[in-house]
Amino acid sequence: MSAMEAVPVPYVIEINGHLGATVLAAFPGVTSHRRESHTVLVGLLDHSALHGLLAQVDALGLELLELRRFAPDAGLDREAGLDG
Amino acid sequence: MVAPATPGLIDREDLVAALDRAATRRVTTISAPAGSGKTSLLRAWAARAGRGPVVLVQVPRGQPDAQAFWLSVQGALHGARAPSGGAPAPVGTPEFDGDAMVERVLAELADLTNAGGEVTVILDDLHELGPPEASAQLRHLLGDLPPGVHAIVATRRDLRLGLHRMRLDGELGELRATDLQFTDPEVRRMLAAAGIRLSDAGVARLRQRTEGWAAGLRLAVISLTGDPDPERFVADFSGTDRTVAEYLLAEMLERQPADVQQVLLRTSILERVNGELADLLTGRPGAERVLLDLEDANAFVVSLDPARTWFRYHHLFADLLRLELRHTLPEQVPALHRGAAEWFVEHGQIAEAVRHTQAAGDWDAAARLLADHAFSLTLDGQAQTIEALLLAFPPGASVHRADLAIAQAASDLAQGRLDQAADYLTLAENHVATTPLERRSRRRVAIASVKVSLARRRGSLTGVREQVDVLTGPMSRQSNDDLALSTDLRAAALMNLGIVEAWSTGTPEAERHLREGAELARENGRPYLEVACLAQLAFASKIHSFATTRRLCHEAIALAERYGWGGEPIVAPALLTLAVAMAWTGEFAASAQWLDRTERALRSDTGPGIGLLRHIGTGMLHAGRGDLLRALEEFGAAEHLRAQLEGSHALASQVTGWLIATQARLGTTGQARSTLGELDDERAQSGEVQNARVAISLAEGDPAAALLAVTPVLDGSAPVVGYLTVIEAHLLAAVAHRELGDHRAANQAAETALALAEPDRVILPFVTTAAGDVLEALPRHETAHAALVNDILDVVHGTAVAPPEPDSADTEHLSPTELKVLRYLPTNLSRPEIADELSVSVNTVNTHIRNIYAKLHSGDRSTAVRRARQQRLLGAGRPR
Repeated sequence: MSAMEAVPVPYVIEINGHLGATVLAAFPGVTSHRRESHTVLVGLLDHSALHGLLAQVDALGLELLELRRFAPDAGLDREAGLDG
Repeated sequence: MVAPATPGLIDREDLVAALDRAATRRVTTISAPAGSGKTSLLRAWAARAGRGPVVLVQVPRGQPDAQAFWLSVQGALHGARAPSGGAPAPVGTPEFDGDAMVERVLAELADLTNAGGEVTVILDDLHELGPPEASAQLRHLLGDLPPGVHAIVATRRDLRLGLHRMRLDGELGELRATDLQFTDPEVRRMLAAAGIRLSDAGVARLRQRTEGWAAGLRLAVISLTGDPDPERFVADFSGTDRTVAEYLLAEMLERQPADVQQVLLRTSILERVNGELADLLTGRPGAERVLLDLEDANAFVVSLDPARTWFRYHHLFADLLRLELRHTLPEQVPALHRGAAEWFVEHGQIAEAVRHTQAAGDWDAAARLLADHAFSLTLDGQAQTIEALLLAFPPGASVHRADLAIAQAASDLAQGRLDQAADYLTLAENHVATTPLERRSRRRVAIASVKVSLARRRGSLTGVREQVDVLTGPMSRQSNDDLALSTDLRAAALMNLGIVEAWSTGTPEAERHLREGAELARENGRPYLEVACLAQLAFASKIHSFATTRRLCHEAIALAERYGWGGEPIVAPALLTLAVAMAWTGEFAASAQWLDRTERALRSDTGPGIGLLRHIGTGMLHAGRGDLLRALEEFGAAEHLRAQLEGSHALASQVTGWLIATQARLGTTGQARSTLGELDDERAQSGEVQNARVAISLAEGDPAAALLAVTPVLDGSAPVVGYLTVIEAHLLAAVAHRELGDHRAANQAAETALALAEPDRVILPFVTTAAGDVLEALPRHETAHAALVNDILDVVHGTAVAPPEPDSADTEHLSPTELKVLRYLPTNLSRPEIADELSVSVNTVNTHIRNIYAKLHSGDRSTAVRRARQQRLLGAGRPR
């Protein structure tokens, strides 16, 4: 995998539970919305931003459910929907 | 706040027992996410462990500095060994060698097991350790644990510690997240211990909702304490999709009195907090009580010292509180950081102060602070911390801000990147002209303080003098604030000045400067600088008696050993000077031991100055033991280093003189003459080189020329490094007189040499000049130094003919042609080249060499040379 991205790439990060405004402040530069009982974070991230974000998830004791590159045909409208 | 009666941890007996079983292995890893209860488990286990001393190390958040980490390991070790203290606290050094440190820690661990059977080292929050080299050092530690030593490592993430081998060998114990999850019975006990009544269904629901996650349960218990309707709390909690930590933190905070909330939120910006600092940030007294209560309630606050003055928050808890602070009091955050920064500056904790100034967004102020203290931070061995702080500035800041360029230069220099340091200094100097006036002199001082070390490292006396002038100028006009800074600077400036003076010219000022530097360093609590000054002072004192030199060496070494630096590069000048002093007095075995220690201490960067002295010392030892071939190698290596030096070297003429003399004594007088011919006038006229000329003439069988050559040294017209050169000259004269058959004059010269040698009991020159024969012939009733003569002859006989070799009577005499060929054997000429030199065929040379080997009972060239030398078939004094 050519993950040493210098150019930011859209990522989708799914976290268990609903994040409130306080904790969301720990993830500047990404947008979020809720899907069922989860929180979906979407953002343009380069390599170190992605790892910083994962470290933050780790540090706050959050449960990471899924991490994937944003697939354009999966439908931008659905993923990047309004901020929850 | 929570009722003080609330007990702390519940006793998770099963889990502690599981750790107890795991910890019988060599290494145990506890790998589980934040808030899983790793630290509590470790503390509970440590409190109960009946298995010998426990060394507990808590890695602070984002530890950027390998040395700081290892110092904390050492500190914990000393604490486990002698809880009352005794040895000084481990102090950082600018020259940190991680692997040597690991070896020291391993040795201390082995010691500890000898005293008490088994030892367990606990490294908590190891994922916070940043530097990659620290991981390698950890692998070294874990891989080499002495028998009886166990390690327990707690981390949020699996680390690459190279433990596969141990796993295969069954020497690795592992606990993971599932092992740490609370079970229903444990949750029930935890609630009961806090006096909370909850139905079995409620317990099960709480456990499911938190997934047995320790931090969540702990937050829930704190919130539930005193809650009139716990069932409802759990039902509400279960009915929401909010994340466990965020929901419970909000609930918990809401239930706290206002003053507790304020303490928690406002001090959450700190890595470590005490009552005074907390009062400062909350703006009212009483915070310490709150912190103590929180710890008693086991509410994510842990005291860091037995006296319970410093506390830290659990990292996860602190992170959540900080987010809450940013959310509820965003406008207060910079002011809180500023307040903390001021407190840390006042208390001399500069790195912490810089961090908070950065967090406040005051980049200029942070840069100034860092530049002003960069030098002191490098003295504390915190170069890596400086690097980490520099990285926290906006990208490219080091280029655009003069202050950061200075800090970068200091850090580069401390890590041996001299050229890069010079580049950043130039950059910083470019900015000085545009610096506001009130700041300009501070900046100049900061630049000069780095430049002075740079110049010293490069051995440039003029460079050091220039910078010392800059430093002594504005420093006298500094305000009280800068006093500590300027004391550090002055001590270091004196040290650097003293070092270059001692090594380049050997002037008496060197001693004065080093002595003053050592005193200042001691007054200012800088043991590293003090040891450095004293070790250099020992070298600088070589112009006095050996007794003084030895005493100074031992003092420097003893102080270094107190701090655990007995094998560090800074003490090398003292180790080496001691080795050299003992070579002079003929104590070759002891000298060899000190040389060994020096070599171990100099394993890393040595620098040409001390490297040169090491080769001289080793060469002297070989020469004293009669191994001229190896002596030649060492003197040659010393000469090579001398040529690389930017400035002069105090012992330059000594090196050259002995190199030439050794060439001559090995019979290669042509080579000796050609080396002589390449010298510049100044060195060619030194007493040391003059003595070498004498040695050549003696080797050429021309004692009359030798006597002529020795005159300038004897009458004092040739400059000498010290009186040892004069002793050597008298001995060479004695040998020449004897060869000329003038025994009276020979005895007289020998007697003068003995008189000069007596106070220090100098022996080496008598051995190297082969003056032993003169002493043997010296009528004992004619000398005032009979005891010294006996000592010298003991050394001459005891070492020169040390291993039992075939007596010369057993060897057949070499023919004159064979002797001629023999003289070429110590050179690196090949057989065809020897044949050329002698104008004979290679076959003839081969025949002669075969005969020489047979007559000397040797199978190869170097053995033949050694035997020949022992039988004095080579070198000076051999009648033709």
